Amino acid sequence: MDRRNFLKIIGSGVAGAATGNLLRPGRASASEGRSAKELYGILVDTTRCIGCRRCEKACAEVNGLSVPDISESKNESVLKNMRKTSDTEYTIINSYKTDKGTIFVPKRCMHCNQPGCAAACLVKAMKKRPTGQVTWDSNCIGCRLCMISCPFDIPKFEYSKAMPRIQKCNLCYDRYNKGELPGCVEVCPTQALMFGSRRQILEEGKRRIAVNPDKYVDHIYGEYEVGGTSHLYLSSVPFEQIGFRKDLGTRPYPEYSTGFLYAVPFIFVLWPIAMLGINRATKGNGKGKEEHHG
Amino acid sequence: MNRKLIFTGVSIIYIILLIYGLTTVYSVGNPVLPKKVEGLKPENKISIAHTEIFGKLERPQVIFNHKKHEESLKKDNEGCNTCHPVNKEDVILFDFPKKDTKKDKTSVMNAYHDECMDCHKKKARENKKTGPVVCADCHGKELSSVKIQYPVFEFNFEYHEKHVKKLKEKIGKDDCGQCHHSYDINEEDESLALVYEKGTEESCYYCHEFGKKRGPELTAITKVAEKKGLTIRKASHQQCLNCHLKYQQEYLKKGEKDACPTECVKCHTGKYKTVAELEKVPRPDRDQKDKPFINIENSKMKGVTFDHKSHETYSKTCRSCHHETLNACNTCHNLTGKPEGNGINVANAYHHMFSEHSCSGCHNKKKEEKKCAGCHHTIPAMDVETMNPKKESCAACHSGKKDQLAMPKPLSTAGLDQQKVKKVVEIKVLEKEFEPSKFPHRDIIDKLVKVSNDSKMATYFHRNIQTLCDGCHHRSISEAEAQKDTPPNCKNCHMTSYDRQNLNKTRLLSAYHRQCLGCHEKMELEKGRKCTECHKEKKGRPTEITQMKNQNVVKQNTETIINVWRPE
Repeated sequence: MDRRNFLKIIGSGVAGAATGNLLRPGRASASEGRSAKELYGILVDTTRCIGCRRCEKACAEVNGLSVPDISESKNESVLKNMRKTSDTEYTIINSYKTDKGTIFVPKRCMHCNQPGCAAACLVKAMKKRPTGQVTWDSNCIGCRLCMISCPFDIPKFEYSKAMPRIQKCNLCYDRYNKGELPGCVEVCPTQALMFGSRRQILEEGKRRIAVNPDKYVDHIYGEYEVGGTSHLYLSSVPFEQIGFRKDLGTRPYPEYSTGFLYAVPFIFVLWPIAMLGINRATKGNGKGKEEHHG
Repeated sequence: MNRKLIFTGVSIIYIILLIYGLTTVYSVGNPVLPKKVEGLKPENKISIAHTEIFGKLERPQVIFNHKKHEESLKKDNEGCNTCHPVNKEDVILFDFPKKDTKKDKTSVMNAYHDECMDCHKKKARENKKTGPVVCADCHGKELSSVKIQYPVFEFNFEYHEKHVKKLKEKIGKDDCGQCHHSYDINEEDESLALVYEKGTEESCYYCHEFGKKRGPELTAITKVAEKKGLTIRKASHQQCLNCHLKYQQEYLKKGEKDACPTECVKCHTGKYKTVAELEKVPRPDRDQKDKPFINIENSKMKGVTFDHKSHETYSKTCRSCHHETLNACNTCHNLTGKPEGNGINVANAYHHMFSEHSCSGCHNKKKEEKKCAGCHHTIPAMDVETMNPKKESCAACHSGKKDQLAMPKPLSTAGLDQQKVKKVVEIKVLEKEFEPSKFPHRDIIDKLVKVSNDSKMATYFHRNIQTLCDGCHHRSISEAEAQKDTPPNCKNCHMTSYDRQNLNKTRLLSAYHRQCLGCHEKMELEKGRKCTECHKEKKGRPTEITQMKNQNVVKQNTETIINVWRPE
């Protein structure tokens, strides 16, 4: 071993020790340790939500939408109705009367692992980012295919605008890039929302169920539904009771159409040939008959 | 010609494939919903289906009106034995059909048809009003989607007391052998095996409920009962109804219509007494000690004086603690566990957290009640697996003092230092948006002390007022705080901002909300559930609650859109 090689090894050893000290083992860090290889999402614990609608307000603020009034009296009247997300409300809270009392459920884009909306988009305006967020882009042509393809009824169309586009939650992609938490998570007063990598929040969800088996139903909504989502939900009552669809299955939505879509070029190419074949076959027969008669 | 054939063949195959592909894509089947089954009021009717023998029924079940049959038979001076078999000792066995048949589909079906229709035909021959003999008259189509289920009857201690008194009037002495018996498994002559011995009375469930794990001796006895088909249902119908039938006429003459009922719905009312309602009812005396001293030989812990007498009234049955037999716990559970006790050692038998029969399990259940749950829902349960439990907690039961069960004095707030224990605590975490919240610290202490003093169990276990502080000031280590006399502040552990290293860590804002609201929710308090009750609106409240905006994306997008659509 020469001197040069020796120094190399020693050097890398020192560097390794230094970085090893920085990257402490144990807890995965959120902003510092954000990895491009992981999907990020939010764990929503519906048992913790108190229906204060601060997330709605924060969402409107960070996205430059009209800020809702979240005073006590207003909240009461708003929460009486079942609402849906809209082009100016990317996140909403609904209240459900169940046998375990009133349960508040924040609803927003589920950020599917294999989003139907992104698969349906003709111009690739809807994108699944490598870090989990499903975002929309400016080249939206307003075809509304994403609205049809979404199993959770999330993308909403700006019907009131002259140049309408699709709007929906983008998991605060801007804030994420700057190392911030999504607006709703930042303001939640009960930490009903937990931001983290999908692996982390799934683990945490499972831990909560394991520690409080009486409190939660043993299911994390979004773990397997439509192939898994980045938004996960915990609940104390069966999910049907708080407005979640249980009939979605575990098959990712794009997969329903891929088989068919792959068949399209096959049909396009072979259709003329088939027609030609039939034509040739029938024509030939006619000629034969004519000859026979003639 | 050959070429044409190939062309046609290929194109036909192609079209077939295409149609097949399209149908598979577009024909996703809808799930078939199961039929909705409607629950009927029992009204002395019985559903005859025997799905355990027939499986899926070819024809709809029969809803049999028992009372109607009973009444019409009574007119002809016929009794229960017209339909139900009678054994050698003149005891009516409430079985049907009367003939003993094999338990397979055809024999059971034939037995039913023979018995029912023969009687119906016979009555018709006698020119009496009678029942149907045509299939659909009994197997009505509308009956396939209804269900009749009787609620289980609960023979509580109030009924027991009544029966004991009445029987004493009838017979003139205490004879529990009228109902209670035990089975001598060593007796070879089966007819002599059923014996009664005073002081061994137990619940019917111990022998007549099968399918539960039990010790070797009881298993042998339950096997005999199972062989005879004496389920709890059959055994109690046989035992109760035979006796009721015997005395019913006597009471009817006296004009007591409701005494000795034989009608289904008279017993199966579906109404159950609560523990509180049964509190005053005396429990049967079986020579049990009032305050036994439980001391396990060679165990490390000191003995426990157990207030058996008071605990008797805390549950509806003896079975809730004495789960398999009415013996002392140490008959089956010893220090190392033995087969009779299913291998469960005595430490777990008393302290198992999730058992309904153990001390700790039951106490833990009690702590879920709304008065206790406010604090206890955050406190991890104490069981044998708890690491380093407080000495005082163990000593509350393990006193080692025989026959002494001194109730500790109720808690008092008189000794609290006004300086250290603040009357009102101002919380200013959301100061930007709201006026500071005023937390009535002292009022809450007073309330908790009252709640604790109202309950006998809480008074016994909360011996020190500091115990109540732990309800909110959780995770405090008493040894560490021995030097200081203030429990830790919330801020000492919970940070005001998110911990970026561990986003799951509770921050101060949510610690307050979850602690306060969690307790109010668990205690089912009306107060303090609305935002404005704690947070008074502030004048000139800032509208913004977030720091950073997402407007970059929005702005950029709008700009590009404008560029795209207005290219000038």
